[in-house]
Amino acid sequence: MVKEEIKKALSNANLSGALTRFSEAYAVSRRKAYEGLDFEEIREKIANIKSYVADHLPELIQLFIKSATENGAKVFYTKNPEEVRNYIIELAKKKNVKSIVKSKSMATEEIHLNKYLKEEGIEVNETDLGEWIIQLAGQRPSHMVLPAIHLTRYDVSEVFTKKVEPVQPDIAQMVKFARKHLRRKFLSADMGITGANIAVAETGTLVIFTNEGNARLTMALPKIHVAVVGVEKLVAKLEDIFPIIRALPRSATAQLITSYISFVSKPYTHIDGSQKEFHIILFDNKRTEVAKDPVFKQSLQCIRCASCLNVCPVFRLIGGHVFGKVYTGGIGTILTAWTEGLKASKDIHGLCIQCGNCVRVCPSKINIPELILEIRKRLAKEEGLDFKTKAIYYVVNNRKLFHTILKAASKLQKPFESKGFIRHLPFFLSELTQERSLPAIADIPFRERFKKIVQPKSERKAIFFAGCLIDFAYPEIGEALVKLLNSAGIEVLFPEEQTCCGAPARYSGVIDVAANNSKQNIEALTGLEADYVVSACPTCTVALKKQFIKDLKEQNYDEKIIKSAENLSEKVIDASELIHRLIKEGKIQFKKLLQIDFTYHDPCHLIRSLNIYQQPRESLTTAGLKLIEMFESDTCCGMGGSYSLKFPEISTKILRRKLENIQKTEAKLVCTDCPGCVMQIRGGVDKEGLQIEVKHSLEILAERII
Amino acid sequence: MFELFKQKAEAINAEVHKFSSKAEALEFIKDFIKQNTSTKLSKEVVWYESEFLEGVDKDALQKELPQIEFNINLNSASSAKIGINQVDFGIAETGSLVEISDEISKRLCSSLPEIHIAILPISKILPDMESVMKQINLKNIPYMTVISGPSRTADIERVLTIGVHGPERVVILCIDKFLGGIDG
Repeated sequence: MVKEEIKKALSNANLSGALTRFSEAYAVSRRKAYEGLDFEEIREKIANIKSYVADHLPELIQLFIKSATENGAKVFYTKNPEEVRNYIIELAKKKNVKSIVKSKSMATEEIHLNKYLKEEGIEVNETDLGEWIIQLAGQRPSHMVLPAIHLTRYDVSEVFTKKVEPVQPDIAQMVKFARKHLRRKFLSADMGITGANIAVAETGTLVIFTNEGNARLTMALPKIHVAVVGVEKLVAKLEDIFPIIRALPRSATAQLITSYISFVSKPYTHIDGSQKEFHIILFDNKRTEVAKDPVFKQSLQCIRCASCLNVCPVFRLIGGHVFGKVYTGGIGTILTAWTEGLKASKDIHGLCIQCGNCVRVCPSKINIPELILEIRKRLAKEEGLDFKTKAIYYVVNNRKLFHTILKAASKLQKPFESKGFIRHLPFFLSELTQERSLPAIADIPFRERFKKIVQPKSERKAIFFAGCLIDFAYPEIGEALVKLLNSAGIEVLFPEEQTCCGAPARYSGVIDVAANNSKQNIEALTGLEADYVVSACPTCTVALKKQFIKDLKEQNYDEKIIKSAENLSEKVIDASELIHRLIKEGKIQFKKLLQIDFTYHDPCHLIRSLNIYQQPRESLTTAGLKLIEMFESDTCCGMGGSYSLKFPEISTKILRRKLENIQKTEAKLVCTDCPGCVMQIRGGVDKEGLQIEVKHSLEILAERII
Repeated sequence: MFELFKQKAEAINAEVHKFSSKAEALEFIKDFIKQNTSTKLSKEVVWYESEFLEGVDKDALQKELPQIEFNINLNSASSAKIGINQVDFGIAETGSLVEISDEISKRLCSSLPEIHIAILPISKILPDMESVMKQINLKNIPYMTVISGPSRTADIERVLTIGVHGPERVVILCIDKFLGGIDG
């Protein structure tokens, strides 16, 4: 089902066009909004404030109830969504409420409140412009902060004309139109429902951010104000609000501050002299359970800014109608898994390409990809794997069999192969090569070629971990590395027992298989004396450096092998970093060749997990090349390991944008430092017939050494 | 501090004027009302009383400008074009106004009309939100709004549009010598 929805979303040019334009503009304006502030410091504070809340949730709930009750608010705390709805419905009936105005509240969307109120014959009007449009159109929001981003002015005018009265597709006119029509609703409403962005336990205060001013009217005009607040909105002390106030508008809409921030503490006398009623519904819906989970409690740190959606290369293509239910995008996947159950996230957790872009911008320091991985792990454990997947992992865990199959495949692919590419595959595999050619499996893998390389003997040694792609598809990258290291006086060792780094299983949440790969590799790589363990694939580097240890610990392997993993980790270095160091030290020198232009693509794992981006650029420019930066050089190319096999339709859309950005630089050479990215981008270049070379940086550097 | 406040407030589309005395500001308000109301017949201005009006002959003012209404209720506030009140603090960091409303009528002047005129003593401009919180006891305040420029939306095609449910103009009158009445 999710596949059909993806297809629909991808063919909706308005949706992906609007979201993509927004995400491009957002990246720039967000950076500007944070100018002069230390983002790392702010988010560290927010993470501390909110993780304190997660650790003390029951006490803080009680404290808030006490403070707010003292202030004169009626506070109702419940774990159950149904009780929230019943409370509001009963209150409405008791007070003879005929119509309700609402300002945007995710909490009420989470419990589908509007639907239930309507069933009771109560008129409900959303008053945030975007939400009102969506409500009139009978749709679902496509984005948490910009609910109607997928609709054009023409769509909006059509909705208004059909549901309210005729209006021209002119934005200023339509905004005035909304003011006029909703003003009537505000003035006649009997109850106003809001959410809250922050709830201060110490003072019992709710803090509400809006730009349109609709929340102010929702609270001021009707005689009854009901605020529905998820308990994750709590902070302990008043001073805790300051970093959130600074970050939320900047991260959400790249504003320094929203037009209105309202602080509501107690009920007051209404304009007609009667006493205003102020109800706060503190709403749990599994949040206290989440707080007890050592891994997922992090998700309670979310301040709902949606910046993770704005920078997500997948979200900007398919939007919130596919990616998430009430809460959308990566964080939405996690919240859905909790509020609606793990199984509810089954179709969507796979959409995360694990590029890590969101990790960099999250003002609450939530590691969304890691939490999504945790969902995959738990689902894999709970539901088991299908036969096909099981069979694949069985093979991957058996190195000899795996390598034999790869070698056999290099023969079987012959009918489909041409000049190193597979351009068409038959039957159900055809989708894989629709938009991107696949690399042919090399006739002679690196492990065979290595045996024939004559190296100078040296005291200084480096163990090379090739990984599947270099070993079996691009052995020339491995050869380039050997050449470079040899020229710096380093001898390369290649332990033959090394196997797949485990990434495919790991990023699918099948950690027992991944850990088995980790163990085999540690055993293969430890017996030898060497200064470095080097890899030219950042995903493998991350595995060697961080993931092996994590897998083994998680799978309760014994101390001895974990210790070996830790020792190994200390020696691990990505080739891009090592070669850069050797160039700086003058150990690798280059010929004076004609200067050529190149553009650089940053592999996700290299820039975001290893923080390497300057080094390969410097190495290449030192070798006499001229860098022309492409737009969004650090945005994922769409490969994402097996992602490109699971969601080829999304992967290729991401790839196409990458190719466009490459073409705009007019450089005829793209360098990168990941064989996966080489495969993806090279495949796209071949399919589109572009005259652009795609190379691993090592290949270019090796061509130019003295 | 005032300069920073003005710069930040203007950056978010508020209009900032500086006056050395209340008398000057009052003249400005009168002119503004004359220019921005179409008739003397209907009550197009709601004015929430504050210390700014101490010493002002309100009857004379209303005689001169009968469009001013000091009696604020849902009807008068929702049909007025201009709302005037005195706000409690300014925040230089963001060019924001802090409006503490013990009475809802004060708040209606800044939320229902199309134009909000905010009177702000310059001495009340503080560097940031933290400084404001130190001056007040939030727990005793039923309702407080930090107002930063006019009401805005970007919900249709992300085009910034000013003036949705709140005012489309926020006119801030910063007054230097605020103490004492207005004489002649």
